[in-house]
Amino acid sequence: MVTGELEQLLRQAFPEAGTVRVTDRTGGGDHFLVEVTSPRFDGLPLLEQHKLVNAALAGPFAAGTIHEMRIKTRGTS
Amino acid sequence: MSEELNGRIKSVIDTSPVALFMKGTPQFVMCGNSERALQALRHAGAPVTAVDILPDPAIRQELATLSGWPTIPQVFINGELVGGADITEELAETGELERKLEDALGSDYREFAAERVVSVLVPA
Repeated sequence: MVTGELEQLLRQAFPEAGTVRVTDRTGGGDHFLVEVTSPRFDGLPLLEQHKLVNAALAGPFAAGTIHEMRIKTRGTS
Repeated sequence: MSEELNGRIKSVIDTSPVALFMKGTPQFVMCGNSERALQALRHAGAPVTAVDILPDPAIRQELATLSGWPTIPQVFINGELVGGADITEELAETGELERKLEDALGSDYREFAAERVVSVLVPA
């Protein structure tokens, strides 16, 4: 899985997002750091923010192409 | 079998002040993310009830269905899902984890900060 494909999925799920960045943490194409900054996260509990990100990447998760993912979400306010 | 397992997982979640579903045990952690969550909880002085999910893949499946959270580790305070390693770590850094623990368990929660390991599998 390349980071570009994951970023595309996230862009589709968060079209309003300021920052969408996926970093391959180990170079192996299965450990990622996902960073999303979006006004949709404003006032939303961290758990709900991460659930939205998990849902956006549910496909590659279920397929087993993502072994490990770290998530960093930020609101804009 | 899966219904029994589901019930035992639920019971650990509901009856533990702080439940940590992890890979390995606090004495022998088998995954970096489980370690991060454990350290964040220790740092906050939380009483941790740990469940090793590795002995049976069914534990992980049942847990994910129950919580709606796809990955391990998972941290629950008073039956409520807090999140995985990233969230627990972030909440610990901002001091919000300690606030959550105080709200849920009382301001003297640190006095009960023992760690224990429980199994959700039927004893052989």
